[in-house]
Amino acid sequence: MVDVGMTLEMVEASQMGMKAIGAALAVGLTGLASGIAEMTVGSAAVGATAENRDVFGLVLLLTVIPETIVIFGLVVALLLLF
Amino acid sequence: MLRPEEMLRLLIAAPKGEIDIIIKELYRHNVYHIEDFVPESEYEELSIGHPLPGASDAAATLIKVRAIENACGINPDKVEIAEKIPVSKVRAMIKTDLPAIQKQVEDLVATRSRLEACRKEHEQRARELEPFVAIPLDLELYRGYERFTVFVGHISHDVSIDVPHEKYFSDRVDGNVIVVVVPNEHREEVERTLLDARFQAIPVPNETGSPADRLKAHIDKVEEASRGIAEVDQKLTEIRDGYTNFLVACDELLTADVERAEAPLRFATTEETFISEGWVPADQADRIRAALEKVTDGRIYIEELEIDDPSRVPVEYKNPSFASPTQLLIDLYARPQYSEIDPTLMVAIVFPIFFGMILGDVGYGAILLVTSLGLRRIVKGEGGTMLLRVLGYASVSSIIFGILYSEIFGSSLKIPWFTGWIEVPALFFNRHLNIGTASGHAPQIIELMVLAIWIGVLHITLGRILGLVNARMFHRGKHATKAAIANLGWLGTMWGILLMIWAFYAIPLMPDLTGLPVVAMGLNAAALLGAVLLVAGILGIAQENPLELVELPTIISHVLSYTRLVAVGLSSVAIAMVVNYIAIGMIIEPQLEAITLSGVIMIIMGILVLLMGHALNTALGLIGGGLHSIRLHYVEFFTKFYKGGGKKYNPFGMKLKFTTEE
Repeated sequence: MVDVGMTLEMVEASQMGMKAIGAALAVGLTGLASGIAEMTVGSAAVGATAENRDVFGLVLLLTVIPETIVIFGLVVALLLLF
Repeated sequence: MLRPEEMLRLLIAAPKGEIDIIIKELYRHNVYHIEDFVPESEYEELSIGHPLPGASDAAATLIKVRAIENACGINPDKVEIAEKIPVSKVRAMIKTDLPAIQKQVEDLVATRSRLEACRKEHEQRARELEPFVAIPLDLELYRGYERFTVFVGHISHDVSIDVPHEKYFSDRVDGNVIVVVVPNEHREEVERTLLDARFQAIPVPNETGSPADRLKAHIDKVEEASRGIAEVDQKLTEIRDGYTNFLVACDELLTADVERAEAPLRFATTEETFISEGWVPADQADRIRAALEKVTDGRIYIEELEIDDPSRVPVEYKNPSFASPTQLLIDLYARPQYSEIDPTLMVAIVFPIFFGMILGDVGYGAILLVTSLGLRRIVKGEGGTMLLRVLGYASVSSIIFGILYSEIFGSSLKIPWFTGWIEVPALFFNRHLNIGTASGHAPQIIELMVLAIWIGVLHITLGRILGLVNARMFHRGKHATKAAIANLGWLGTMWGILLMIWAFYAIPLMPDLTGLPVVAMGLNAAALLGAVLLVAGILGIAQENPLELVELPTIISHVLSYTRLVAVGLSSVAIAMVVNYIAIGMIIEPQLEAITLSGVIMIIMGILVLLMGHALNTALGLIGGGLHSIRLHYVEFFTKFYKGGGKKYNPFGMKLKFTTEE
């Protein structure tokens, strides 16, 4: 940090920005991944429910299982930000 | 508690002459779960019994009653119990009243279907006539020519025709209508011209007179039929109002008759006797035995058999009443087996706590509590009521956690005091984020996460300990020991990893073991102990089945999975705060400084945004809180010990809802 005349505040601000970008990537990318995973589970779940209404509760649950991915992303983002 | 209801296996044998009275007595007590008899080749003298006399009559009458119920739109499951009718009265009324009601309903249904067919036909005719109303020609003028051809149909636009012709065109009808009469010799070229304008022929109705009059006649017929149908419906409603109680009572009585009459199909019989095997709850066994001996004057043989295969025992829950609604959540996964621990009680306690931790908000909790209480009046049926009771407990827990977190609709709790409104500090950890103008105490996210991990560690440890107990139930001898050691191995590995983490890093709310003196290889005492536990644990897992080692990463991922208790909760707090900020901070408050007409509209819009946002967040909170809490049980907790797959205890008999034995 010797050259180009950056002050300490500027460095800190850009570090904050980097953290925010990191957090956004953590949530955003894992969100996409969860979405793709839930897409497959969800369509199978709807099919199964159409065949037999009794499995609704169970398949609703199976549908949220991939949500763990985005929750880990959210946890990482929260740890980055706070 | 923690165990299903204890069952006894009974064998009942009696002369065939007593079968009637025994079935009746068993049905009345409603505790005997019949084990269906399967004919085997080794006992050739045993065969399946025959239905009691009267079975087919009862079944035929039942079908009639169901048909009447169907026609009148009566659903016995949804009928409120008004008064219980004595069985003898129902039987008498089946003989006297039922045939008349049946005749009346059958006639009404026949009339209605005739009227419906008639209405349909006239509607169809009216539809066909509609295009012709626009043309000033009587219907008989469209047909009966030898030298002329008549084109009638829809067309995209009017066309000019070069040959001698007569033409009518109207655009007052949907799709326009054209009528062209030409001599037969010009037919082909006219047809080509018409087809170029996308001509579509329509049939000429086989009627005479002016189309408008005919149309009116058909419409009158349709109305008449509709009035007739309404009358029939009215009469059916009258029958429904007058006879609902009787009909559902018939349904119940006849269903019971049929079930009783068909019971021998589940028994084994010889020429003179019958034998039945079944299950009764242990505390009912003496009562049913005494009752059976009394009604048969001792002409019955009852023996208690040994339970040789626990997986065949039907399972009935035995839980304190506050935990019984949670049985629904367990059944959704799988009913416990007879020999294993029933986790209902633990889920009943922990599920609301998880829900409250996620959706800890006084406002949302209150909305859900009111909803669950309100819906309890509307929703009938066992499953719905149980679910609403689970939701009720969960929302109370949500209110309690809301007070602990000091949250109401995403802002902090305030109470009136002499000096004005004062903010209540969070008694527990605080989850308020720095969004908008909300007060900016920093959220204690790290502490909350560590707490969630503690909950995870303890919950999983509990699961493994239960697994240790269950290992004795599922396996015998050497394998039981192996399974138990494997469970200890999983526990050792998890706690070993924890000890090593504590020895290297200081984490808030967790023991700080970094300061311990170094013992060997740069490791301190805790780290060394952790390493020993870890290695011993892995060996313990591997001795049962080395393939299980593939699952080792789940130790970490399952524990970390509990951080969802904080993460999902925080996301709901964030949505609530954002809604508040947009609606109040950005839309409403600026308008309050100087009130104008457009300002009032903006304020109303702001209130709408506020209501919509919180309604959406309540729904999300309910789904998120509920599904994630139950998922932590199903995936992280149950996989450690629970097998499930028990048979449902389904006693022979019926709870009388609409009828009563004198």
